[in-house]
Amino acid sequence: MTSILDALVTGLVYGGIYALLALGLTLQYGVARILNLAYGDFLIAAAVFATLLYQRFQLSPLVSLLLLLPASFLIHLLVYHLVFVQLERRRGSWRAMEASSILLAFGLSFVVSGAMLAIFGGKLFSYSYLLVPVQLLGSVVPANRLLALVLALAFGGFAYLLLVRTRIGTAIRAIAVDPDGAPLAGIDVRRWAGLTFAFGGIICAASGVLISMFQTFNVPMGVTFTLKALVVVIMGGVGNAVGALVAGLILGVTESFVARFISPGLTLAAVYGLFVLAVLTMRTGIFGRALR
Amino acid sequence: MLEIRELTVYYGLHAAIRNVSLQVEPGEIVVVLGANGAGKSTLLRATMGMVRPASGHVLLDGLDLTSLVRRNLTHQIVEQGLILVPERGGTFTDLTVRENLLLGAFPRRARAKEKELLEFALSLFPRLKERWNQRVGTMSGGEQRMVAVARALLSAPRFLLLDEPTLGLAPVLAKQLLRVLPQIAAQGIGVLLVEQNAHLSLAVAQRGAVLSNGELVHASSAAELQDDPAVRAAYLGSQ
Ligand SMILES: Nc1ncnc2c1ncn2[C@@H]1O[C@H](COP(=O)(O)OP(=O)(O)OP(=O)(O)O)[C@@H](O)[C@H]1O
Ligand SMILES: [Mg+2]
Repeated sequence: MTSILDALVTGLVYGGIYALLALGLTLQYGVARILNLAYGDFLIAAAVFATLLYQRFQLSPLVSLLLLLPASFLIHLLVYHLVFVQLERRRGSWRAMEASSILLAFGLSFVVSGAMLAIFGGKLFSYSYLLVPVQLLGSVVPANRLLALVLALAFGGFAYLLLVRTRIGTAIRAIAVDPDGAPLAGIDVRRWAGLTFAFGGIICAASGVLISMFQTFNVPMGVTFTLKALVVVIMGGVGNAVGALVAGLILGVTESFVARFISPGLTLAAVYGLFVLAVLTMRTGIFGRALR
Repeated sequence: MLEIRELTVYYGLHAAIRNVSLQVEPGEIVVVLGANGAGKSTLLRATMGMVRPASGHVLLDGLDLTSLVRRNLTHQIVEQGLILVPERGGTFTDLTVRENLLLGAFPRRARAKEKELLEFALSLFPRLKERWNQRVGTMSGGEQRMVAVARALLSAPRFLLLDEPTLGLAPVLAKQLLRVLPQIAAQGIGVLLVEQNAHLSLAVAQRGAVLSNGELVHASSAAELQDDPAVRAAYLGSQ
């Protein structure tokens, strides 16, 4: 009984973070129309920097966030305008760009992870931060995980409110549902798509830092984070923030139960299983509607 | 004054409109009549920079917008004070009435006057107040047209272009919708309307013209157009 509870709590903690990381990808895909296959590699880059800052300068990951989030924003904005806008120019239209952008992002993934591999190789990163046990729902969770979850939900909730409550957030959702109609509302689609891509980059870096607080990781793991984010995006529906939350929790709990009761070696297989199921059965996600 | 000068648009080798020139004064309602495929939508879309003209100019109060038009910078053209309610569209159907009107005032030019414009738009279409939080896609065709016109008004336009706003509406609703145009024009907004419904549109317009196979013919006052035998034969049926 306690082991079920443990698995559930662990699953929910991971799930909340998966929801956040998927929110960044779903914004990039839904609004900028870029399926960013380099997402997990950028996430790992942020996690690596947070670790180094902690180890070399004793900088708390909370402080690292203040440095890494703006940095990630700028890098993603640059990547958007230097790489993807150029592609759009060549392709002539933004629809024709969608397929080639996947290949470009795939290439970008190799560049980012390749550079990091050259520097760090496959070595494992971890640091012990807030490693104190906390009682939660009758189970014991390390404080770092709990903090990561709380921050993930806070970031995600904040991003959601921005999207739903503000004029700019509404414009961003309008681009997602009707990119051709948006200019007639005076919306500069390319500008806001770029800023949304970069905003997704902020969420990506935040997820990376939060994950580094409690999980051991190495550079080659970038691709598994891309995969997990993709699973959640497809299950939750592209551009759907609430869907991402629910799908993230489902993924986290599934992983945790498979690891606990079947075999830890099969968690990735379970992720793939969910991915295939999601692709085959849900064309529009759990809630059937984008961006609600 | 909105001035369209010798606008020509090709789709491939086929000229959809040829050398179309047209002027609209502030506060004036001008209607362009034309059959299916005459080039009405093309004329309005080219004016907004949504299709690239092969030649011609668009001027707004003497300011040449042609370079914006040629570079497809529709959002900047909106920022200059031109707005289009496109055929069947002009709303974000996945968003609510409130959100659509919020985005109507997205252009910077619209912000200062947002409150008055919203009041004005809701005075024209009081029904929208009851549908405030309804998703536009779930509303009736007539209500969706209201949202589209209201959204366009919130951009603080100097000139409002309307592409067949009565399309698919029952005659009573079509009449109701066109009846708001004089109230809009009374605010000093110039209205350029393209229509197939000659009866209703000539009744609210001061001037009109006929677009036939991509060329503008019969430009004259609305009253004269109504009496023109050729126009009567083509657009006014036997009535
Ligand atoms: N995107 C396009 N590509 C190729 N040809 C087009 C395109 N859009 C319009 N055309 C052609 O250009 C001509 C004018 O079309 P347009 O849509 O401007 O006519 P319209 O007067 O608005 O017609 P309707 O009353 O049916 O809306 C038509 O012959 C049409 O087939
Ligand atoms: Mg048309």
